[in-house]
Amino acid sequence: MRWLGHLLVWTVAFLVALPFIWMAYAAFIPPEAVFSGNIFGQLGFSLANFEVLGREGFWEGFWGRLLFSVLLTGGVTLLQLTTGFLAAYAIKEGARLLPFFLVLLAIPVELLLVPLYGLLVGLKILDTIWALVLPFAASPFIVYLLFQGMRTVPEELLEAARIDGAGHRVLLTRILLPLLRPQLIAAGVLAFAAHWNLVLYPRIVAGSKELKTVQTWITDLQRQNPADWGPLSAAALAATLPLVIIYLLYERRIVETFEEGLKG
Amino acid sequence: MGRNNAFWFALPAVASLGLFLLYPFLDVLRFSTWDWSGLSEPRVVGLENYRDILRDPDFYNSLRITLIFGVMTLIPFVVLSILLALALDGQPYERPIKALLFLPGLVTLGGAAVAWYTLFSPEYGALASLIPVPRWDQSPFWALVLIMLFTIWRHIGYGVLVVSARLKAIPKALLEAAAVDGATPAQSFRFITLPLLRPAITFLVVIGTVLTLQGYTAVFLLTRGGPFGGTEVLGYYLYKTGFEAGRLGYAAALTVIILLLTLAFALAQARLLREEK
Repeated sequence: MRWLGHLLVWTVAFLVALPFIWMAYAAFIPPEAVFSGNIFGQLGFSLANFEVLGREGFWEGFWGRLLFSVLLTGGVTLLQLTTGFLAAYAIKEGARLLPFFLVLLAIPVELLLVPLYGLLVGLKILDTIWALVLPFAASPFIVYLLFQGMRTVPEELLEAARIDGAGHRVLLTRILLPLLRPQLIAAGVLAFAAHWNLVLYPRIVAGSKELKTVQTWITDLQRQNPADWGPLSAAALAATLPLVIIYLLYERRIVETFEEGLKG
Repeated sequence: MGRNNAFWFALPAVASLGLFLLYPFLDVLRFSTWDWSGLSEPRVVGLENYRDILRDPDFYNSLRITLIFGVMTLIPFVVLSILLALALDGQPYERPIKALLFLPGLVTLGGAAVAWYTLFSPEYGALASLIPVPRWDQSPFWALVLIMLFTIWRHIGYGVLVVSARLKAIPKALLEAAAVDGATPAQSFRFITLPLLRPAITFLVVIGTVLTLQGYTAVFLLTRGGPFGGTEVLGYYLYKTGFEAGRLGYAAALTVIILLLTLAFALAQARLLREEK
């Protein structure tokens, strides 16, 4: 029985890792190997696929889109952490808002494409950068995660600081911010991944060239040249690697955060 | 103490979520009574959209595909989550494997889709040069299998985590007592572990149903509803009618129907799985 368990685990682990291994391998395939159809025959290493990506000029090419997406999603993440941190503090301080955020948690955002589109038309921010930022200024999930973290901070600590004359600003920046660092990091990574992985939404509300996210850029390239996997894989790898590295750095924190969330 | 004014710190989050989440969620009802392309002036048509959907063969086809896809995905997903959680429990490699299984859910979706596409495409794929790959570009069944595998690939880490968290909460003394009383491992699994895992399984089934009823991103990235509309799940049909055919009012009514379906399914399942004791 035991060896069957080992076999299952390692087979699944291999299959899960396979697309990543392939992505890393295909990104460095010399272009000649793809066209000759001899992919696994000779091992070659080439950076040609990455050079192709820069061809369209910087800002509208791959690297510009990657930079744009990192800045955009990074900004949105900071915004979500700020609004979430403040809201969690308000709940901790006695504002009866937790049910409100829990109800919002149940609303499926992915399904709201149509009414959100209508709202953006009404606000006249369709096809502007605000369409990619404002709807994500706060997230009920982040509020919930940060509140869970704040619950573990002993009330006596805050009370003692208050007696010493600390106001909201001191409590927030000097006491809670350092104490909640682990939760902020985990929440930040999850918020980043969630915004980074929007596929259809940016395509619909901000389709113009200078607002294209890296996801849209890759999907478009895949549509145009499905057989040209060298550059495709290079783009996929370059767009995935930052997330993989961040994840590996904070993996323990992120998995623990999910486990804590399950205990509810 | 100055506690009352702390309420104001929640204002940015409350205002932004109210405007961009709660309001659209309620507003979808209003849009669903419109005939509107997004560019044109909206025309109020009452419940006409709903009537049209109930007569729309494409809607029923899409519903059928979604249900097939749901059953096809959920059963292996839940079974695999349980088996992996059991096999991993207490092993020295438990942590790194869990970390690996979790990774696909976080990485760039578009990039992941490219890796899958270049690997598994029967025409251009790398695997096709080694072994025969089923023609999922021609067979709706194999296309659904591909979407299923991609979906399980992305979410298996979460499934294992849910079962595993529950598994660790089962007191070891219980299983030891059963072993002392002469229960075989299979018996103690059947009569102790499995019943105690029920809350986790219920949770996975309900969450999984919600996700399959509403998901469409994998379909968009890998098959675009094809071949021959064979993978046109409800979420994708919603996207297509709304933003490719430009019938936003109709798509809004579809949204309402999908939401109601989700609610009905989730409630029925939660009740069924709880009472079946």
